[in-house]
Amino acid sequence: MFFESVKIMFLGMGTVFLFLTIMVYVTKLMSKLILRYFPEAPKVHASVSAPKAPVQQTNENAKIAAILGALQHHHQLEQEGKI
Amino acid sequence: MKKVLFSLLMMVSFSLLSMASEPVAAVDSAVEVSAHTAAKTDTPQKSTYREENYQPMSFNEMMINFYHTTGISALIEPKKGVLTSHGEPMSDFHQTWGRLIMFLVTFVLFYLAIAKGFEPLLLLPIAFGGLLANVPIANMAGPDGLLGIIYHMGIANGLFPLLIFMGVGAMTDFGPLLANPRLALLGGAAQFGIFGTLVGAYALSQYTTIFDFTLQQSAAISIIGGADGPTSIFIASTLAPELLGAIAVASYSYMALVPIIQPPIMRALTTPEERKIRMRTLRHVTKLEKLLFPILVLMLIIFILPDAAPLVGAFALGNFFKETGVVDRLSDTMQHALINIVTIFLGLAVGSKLAAEQFLVVDTLAILGLGLLAFSAGTAAGVLMAKLMNVFSDEKINPLIGSAGVSAVPMAARVSQKEGMKDDPTNMLLMHAMGPNVAGVIGSAVAAGVMIALFK
Repeated sequence: MFFESVKIMFLGMGTVFLFLTIMVYVTKLMSKLILRYFPEAPKVHASVSAPKAPVQQTNENAKIAAILGALQHHHQLEQEGKI
Repeated sequence: MKKVLFSLLMMVSFSLLSMASEPVAAVDSAVEVSAHTAAKTDTPQKSTYREENYQPMSFNEMMINFYHTTGISALIEPKKGVLTSHGEPMSDFHQTWGRLIMFLVTFVLFYLAIAKGFEPLLLLPIAFGGLLANVPIANMAGPDGLLGIIYHMGIANGLFPLLIFMGVGAMTDFGPLLANPRLALLGGAAQFGIFGTLVGAYALSQYTTIFDFTLQQSAAISIIGGADGPTSIFIASTLAPELLGAIAVASYSYMALVPIIQPPIMRALTTPEERKIRMRTLRHVTKLEKLLFPILVLMLIIFILPDAAPLVGAFALGNFFKETGVVDRLSDTMQHALINIVTIFLGLAVGSKLAAEQFLVVDTLAILGLGLLAFSAGTAAGVLMAKLMNVFSDEKINPLIGSAGVSAVPMAARVSQKEGMKDDPTNMLLMHAMGPNVAGVIGSAVAAGVMIALFK
């Protein structure tokens, strides 16, 4: 009976990895297609993100994340000697 | 007619009075209580007169009867025939010391939630539910009590965890994952915490006498390794409802303890050089990508593992509503009002499982131990997977973000950020860690789907 649990472990981990691997490739494909055929105009992006601001404000994590992202970007520019 | 009844009542009361004057008879509570209830159940059919439901008695007797309905009496002298919320007889220990110990346990949980800030949103409702569940006589965790009603409304049928998942979906941003999809594999590796613990728990049950869990129970316990409270509750209510309280408490406690449990494991498995690895800044993700992603995940679930559809479906629904941007009112409700209401109910209902007779058993200790093992194994597997991926790929991953593969969002990602900053204060790992973090939610939902598919 003990090997029953080992079998479940292999099946479970196998399924999780199979699922996520497929998800990774399908996501990559989707992104590639979208970026090629439906690229986002910068202007559209600005107008889209504006009304979303009040929702974002309530999400503290998103705010922290944005700040951290900007910080890292700044740091990279700094390292590359662009600033 | 009335006169006859009255004289009958007088006779009964006189005989009771004479009984009360004898000290030995007065103390025999069981007899008295049963006589009292018998009289109660008989009279209503005869007449609607209020006096007939109530027997006149001496003041002394009245005081004694009242004393037997107080909590002091119930906590000091255990009675025979007291039933648990499952309708089974309750042991003397659980009626007396058990309840008192559970009061202390809930006070400790209050302290942890209020003073230490450990997941107060969940720990407080759970602890208060636990306090109410241990009230003697009132039987609040029973099918007709406040907690029992809430429990049957949403936990027994798995509704509340799904509503929570909907709200979590509406709060999740898949941007970081979409920017670097291969990090999703870290979220998969961390699910080893679940399946590794399943093997461990079952092996210990089979080959030692420490505890004795069935395969289903082992599976329900091991889901704690997914570090996902709603998923744990969903699986436990399906596979092992009798262990639900301990599993939920363990799951949420360890989620709150992420910043304490994870760092030592992360440090032990990485070198300072690895911890200093900088990762490429994430690209901008378009709105359309974010919009289509939840549908894509749901379609994959539909084709591969429909048993995970309740969890992933609720999650995808919340996320899709948020990303469409046209139903902000609905997604706002899911993110705030709905998830808050359900959190109150979920907490109280889980707390009802903290009743002494269910929580103060050896199994609870085993579950807490196995949960810790599952959590640690998941963290370690995530970190090791990141190191493994570095062997095969040129684009290096900082292994610290591997630990975020356990799905405790966003706590685990914050821990990665904090640990990374210890070695390099300017290294920003949070956004990179959010990728495996949200992938971990999907991963543990898939793992849960496998369990349901196998055991349903």
